[in-house]
Amino acid sequence: PQGDYIELHRKRHGYRLDHHERKRKRDAREVHKRSAMAQKALGIKGKMFAKKRYAEKALMKKTLAMHEESSTRRKVEDEAHEGAVPAYLLDREATTRAKVLSNTVKQKRKEKAGKWDVPLPRVRPVAEDEMFKVLRSGKRKTKQWKRMVTKVTFVGPSFTRKPPKYERFIRPSGLRFTKAHVTHPELKCTFNLEIIGVKKNPNGPTYTSLGVITKGTIIEVNVSELGLVTPAGKVVWGKYAQVTNNPENDGCINAVLLV
Amino acid sequence: MVQYNFKKITVVPAGKDFIDIILSRTQRQTPTVVHKGYAISRLRQFYMRKVKYTQQNFHEKLSTIIDEFPRLDDIHPFYGDLLHVLYNKDHYKLALGQINTARNLIGKISKDYVKLLKYGDSLYRCKTLKVAALGRMCTVIKRVSPSLAYLEQVRQHMARLPSIDPNTRTILICGYPNVGKSSFINKITRADVDVQPYAFTTKSLFVGHTDYKYLRYQVIDTPGILDRPFEDRNIIEMCSITALAHLRAAILFFLDISGSCGYSIAQQAALFHSIKSLFMNKPLIIICNKTDLQPFENLSEEDMKLVMEMKAEAMKTVIGQGGEAIDEEGVLLKMSALIEDGVIAVKNAACERLLNQRVELKMKSKKINDCLNRFHVAMPKPRDDKERPAFIPEAVLEARAKEAAEKEKRKLEKDLEDENGGAGVYSASLKKHYILANEEWKEDIMPEILDGHNVYDFVDPDILQRLEELEQEEGLRQEEEADDVDMDGEELTPEEKEALAEIRRKKSFLIQQHRIKKSTAESRPTVPRKFDKDKKFTTERMGRQLSALGLDPSLAIERARGRSLSRKGRKRERSLARGGSDGDDAMDMDVDQPSSKKLRMRSRSRSRSRSRPPGEVVPGQGFKDSAQKVKAIKLVRKSQKVRNKDARRGDADRTIPTLKPKHLFSGKRSLGKTSRR
Repeated sequence: PQGDYIELHRKRHGYRLDHHERKRKRDAREVHKRSAMAQKALGIKGKMFAKKRYAEKALMKKTLAMHEESSTRRKVEDEAHEGAVPAYLLDREATTRAKVLSNTVKQKRKEKAGKWDVPLPRVRPVAEDEMFKVLRSGKRKTKQWKRMVTKVTFVGPSFTRKPPKYERFIRPSGLRFTKAHVTHPELKCTFNLEIIGVKKNPNGPTYTSLGVITKGTIIEVNVSELGLVTPAGKVVWGKYAQVTNNPENDGCINAVLLV
Repeated sequence: MVQYNFKKITVVPAGKDFIDIILSRTQRQTPTVVHKGYAISRLRQFYMRKVKYTQQNFHEKLSTIIDEFPRLDDIHPFYGDLLHVLYNKDHYKLALGQINTARNLIGKISKDYVKLLKYGDSLYRCKTLKVAALGRMCTVIKRVSPSLAYLEQVRQHMARLPSIDPNTRTILICGYPNVGKSSFINKITRADVDVQPYAFTTKSLFVGHTDYKYLRYQVIDTPGILDRPFEDRNIIEMCSITALAHLRAAILFFLDISGSCGYSIAQQAALFHSIKSLFMNKPLIIICNKTDLQPFENLSEEDMKLVMEMKAEAMKTVIGQGGEAIDEEGVLLKMSALIEDGVIAVKNAACERLLNQRVELKMKSKKINDCLNRFHVAMPKPRDDKERPAFIPEAVLEARAKEAAEKEKRKLEKDLEDENGGAGVYSASLKKHYILANEEWKEDIMPEILDGHNVYDFVDPDILQRLEELEQEEGLRQEEEADDVDMDGEELTPEEKEALAEIRRKKSFLIQQHRIKKSTAESRPTVPRKFDKDKKFTTERMGRQLSALGLDPSLAIERARGRSLSRKGRKRERSLARGGSDGDDAMDMDVDQPSSKKLRMRSRSRSRSRSRPPGEVVPGQGFKDSAQKVKAIKLVRKSQKVRNKDARRGDADRTIPTLKPKHLFSGKRSLGKTSRR
């Protein structure tokens, strides 16, 4: 048979006499078969199927609710204008002033504490034994002054290792990253930008100097491809971003741009 | 020689299904159990294996896709062009390229993550790295899913393309739409192409095969071409143009001289002239179709002129091939596909032209010389001038001549049939050659059922003989019958009848009696009178013995009789006996006296006799005193509780706190049924 032989056969001979009946019954049976499978399927298959089915159910419920929306009656909500104040409170101003005052107090406190307005103000502290792995060296493997960094690091392009004999902190090359996935908080899109340097690691200045990147670290990224321009007319090519994931667990650095 | 059959390409799965397949395979084929306490190298190996396995599977599947789809530059230009026309070469190449990049990306991801896994120092870290790796691979595939869908569509369509061999003998049919191309191919081959009165019924190429001089020819039917500038042509027309351009075939240009296709001869001629460049180096034949509607001779002047022009063009191609000047008939042919007039002639002409051309080309090419060198027809050198013709004996010659004559003389049934209208019209008379005693019987209708019997059961060539035999047998039998006396069913005399009845009655009586007397469980009492079957021990006997001893037996006898069970119902009698004369004013009650046997059976034991108070328990029946018996009676009462027929709830009706506890009604079983829990 060549070409559209199926359609040709249908055109010439039509359908089987019981075709439509059988099709209808088969489709009706599908429902029962699906439910039987849902009840019988075990293990991972069962879970996946149940998840899919639940999604379908939720969607169906939503559409039904939407259809019923037009027929149900709802209470009419009078939108209260923001800042509207009832008549007996009209002459009061003291409260608003007080708020302003407490805000300034809060800001001062924040500045003292060193908490900045960043997306992740607080992060889980990373202990030293979690950060470093002790390497034994020496002829009898008794010396334990070497440390290997277990987290992701950034070393600059002009980095050269110290002679191995004197190297105290080892940053393995497998854990060195040069690029980060940076999200612009307003545009909501993500770019793959190069890291220029590590500005501050909240766990301590040692880590900052080593270039260790953990969750909450502020890094400086090359944003020249975004094409940002200062009001003065100069092209912005470096901006700060804060790391939002654990890079050693995910294999990549995700950050949020600090605008 | 590659067979251009695109049916062998494996199915391309959709993006989501692809991911599901690979991930479930990873889950099934790699070890699944791992614990926190294992050695770190073991943990790392476990997760690295999963990542690598997934990458390998993706690589495999994507490679099969890339390899199986044909590369448009590597196949015959006809197919390359056809696929370009149908699927757009650029889109096709892009899709395959995307699949290729996806494959490379997945490889890179796998490499990077395996490197990172080497630094994993805890189960959690390795696990998250593996999850990230697999997730990224799946994202790559998700991004590529539109290409996968496109390739699946292409594959499905490609599988249904006709398998045309571009290098073999081919005849190509072209012309305007609705000219009669599909009808022609239906007539000469077995291709069942759809023929309809509207234009563009044929929307793609169709292939049929036909034979000529023991060689197989491909006949290709194309969709109609309209006379338009090249850029404006749609995909369907482009298919025909591609076929015309790339296949080395004999071309049959169809012309509808009746104009019933909706286009005049002038338009068709215009089309011819616009595509005549495609007819270069190909044997061309102009076919005037639909001569049943419009005979060729009745064409108008202008039309005839146009046709002649086309013929001249076609002649040019003939001469251009450097062959012999073929007669004009080989270039312009008339036929009608509907009444099948001239169809075979057209086919033969086309096949002949094509064959000649191919043979010529082959002769001219270098390859043929190798073959020719190997042929050598050896002719014997003539020894002298004597003629030596072939010798056929006389007898054989005569026989041959006679055969030929006979064949011509004898009229076959087949010829008779043909004369009288053909197979469907004429039915041969099968009874013509019957050999019967009377010639008139030939056309008679034989009955099959007569008087409810099958005639054929009675038909026998030796039937008369058999009849005689039967009669003989019957005669013998009748003689035998006369000797026998039949006992059964003879008439009885009335006395005999009476006697019979009497006998029967007696017999039944005897049977009844036996049944009554028979000691079955129903008829005999449960306690046999085993102590006194013969009834020897009567009160009279007792009296006699006592008197023999010298004692007065009367009181004893009275007492015994009074205690007898069978006299229970005779109260009146007793009182009468005691009272003596006092009972004269007795109200003689007519009491039914039950038989002694019955009384005995109904009587109660002594302990339960009516003369005692109801609560009193008499020791007896194996108990040493009343207390023990009372205890025994209590036990009996306790052991079997009387049924509570009030239909109220009792202790036995337990309560069910929850009617459907979850742990009994939920859960799936991997093996077995859940008909009970």
